[in-house]
Amino acid sequence: MHVADPHEGHTSKTVDQALHELRTHAVEMGGLVIDQVGSAVKALLERDLRLADMVLSREPQVNEYESRIDRESLTFIALHQPVASDLRSARAVSRAALELERVGDESKKIARFAAKAGAVAPHDCVSSVSRSLRHMATLSTSMLRNAVRALDEADPALARDVLDKDKEVDEEFASALRQLMSFAMEDQQFLRATVDTVFALKGLERIGDHAKNVAEQVLYMVEGERPRKQKKGDRGQGTGDS
Amino acid sequence: MNTIVDIQTVNTPRQAAKMQGETSAPGSDTPSLSIVMEDRKSARANPAKAAAENLSFWYGSNQALKNINLVIPEHQVSALIGPSGCGKSTFLRCFNRMHDLQADTRYEGAITLRPDNVNLVGPETDPIEVRMRIGMVFQKPNPFPKSVFENVAYGLRLRGVNSKTELAERVEKALRGAAIWDEVKDRLNDSALALSGGQMQRVCISRALATEPEILLFDEPTSALDPIATAKIEELITELRQRVTVLIVTHNMQQAARVSDFTAFMYLGELVEVDATSKIFTNPSKKATEDYITGRYG
Repeated sequence: MHVADPHEGHTSKTVDQALHELRTHAVEMGGLVIDQVGSAVKALLERDLRLADMVLSREPQVNEYESRIDRESLTFIALHQPVASDLRSARAVSRAALELERVGDESKKIARFAAKAGAVAPHDCVSSVSRSLRHMATLSTSMLRNAVRALDEADPALARDVLDKDKEVDEEFASALRQLMSFAMEDQQFLRATVDTVFALKGLERIGDHAKNVAEQVLYMVEGERPRKQKKGDRGQGTGDS
Repeated sequence: MNTIVDIQTVNTPRQAAKMQGETSAPGSDTPSLSIVMEDRKSARANPAKAAAENLSFWYGSNQALKNINLVIPEHQVSALIGPSGCGKSTFLRCFNRMHDLQADTRYEGAITLRPDNVNLVGPETDPIEVRMRIGMVFQKPNPFPKSVFENVAYGLRLRGVNSKTELAERVEKALRGAAIWDEVKDRLNDSALALSGGQMQRVCISRALATEPEILLFDEPTSALDPIATAKIEELITELRQRVTVLIVTHNMQQAARVSDFTAFMYLGELVEVDATSKIFTNPSKKATEDYITGRYG
């Protein structure tokens, strides 16, 4: 339960540097995927094909970050045989990178839909839930930002805030689904577009889950204990993997 | 500090940890249980084979051990780690009264050996008797300048075993027990000094095993050996726990992590923390332990 200084203080400065680099790369990756989420949703709402293409073109960079962090954490473990908080840090960063890579995948899916919807389909069903899409994007990117910051600063309080925020994303998702159902029932010609919009919303909801998983890794890294699994409907503190 | 603990009822690593500072008052009668059970998923500790109770030790006026309370579970490996000069070797050597060979040293407190509750450091206890029950293996392999066979038979002869058949049987058993029989069975009459470092160390372990000790002490047993010989000794220590209780001092923390069931961290003559090895190396409770094992010490 002791992470006095997350980066420094080792007798071996190589260890300080290796841990620092691991986290720096995770933070850089976090910045990239947060931008991917925001850009994908903006492309969808504003029918911006150029932006959608940019998101798709940057996806390999996200994957490259994940491979690099995975490789670096494995090398760190092999060369330095870390224990206790150092071992938990290396593991947390590696697993956080995996979660962020999945966020990148969700952004890619939303961007693909944006490219398709912007080019051909009428945009009415997206417009009908634009407020929810914006709100969910704001919430999920805010969760991601705080989760990555909590990882960088080894801040358990910030990580717990992220866990608590997941409820709001889920509620917004449920509300948007209801709206879309009504929309689809009124006019079935939009059924295909509605299904795609549901996937976009679901993607944002999953991004909230990934941010929550990163926050859980931070809690394990800092406190050495897994956050308590949460039962459905019991949204107090701490939560489990989704 | 005067809470009383029955060392035979210590069942979990957490309980073992709780024994720090919770042991019998000096001079009290048979100890009794006063530990709260905690529901932990880690491996359970066996009943205690020995327990240090408020053990202090002085070299002249220099106090090297300060009120140590530690349970050594039977048929398990307990490791002592800590920086140089923290007292871990001093503590280990108390178990077979090595310090008696040095003038102007003094023990206080007790090391109680189960099942007969002999106080190993008590002035009334004969150190020769103690060393018959507690074997020791040192940092540098130190075979006698004799044949392999005679090295292992030495302790047995001292105990009056003179029958050739019995000696041969027990020497073979000890050499097999130290996983070196196959390597030396055709060289039993060669000098033990002609063996490799790893082989010599295993002969020394055989020599210690031959007299069937109850506890085997290892003082940095692999620091003079190459990685392969080290791996063999570590594998041997892991196997030995089925026959004997093991207490090992090591500077190599990864070795403590690999071979031990419980790890105790010592600093400046005090026992800082003891817990299941898996707990110590993933989430130690004390900051001093964390700093030491992650290389932040000093």
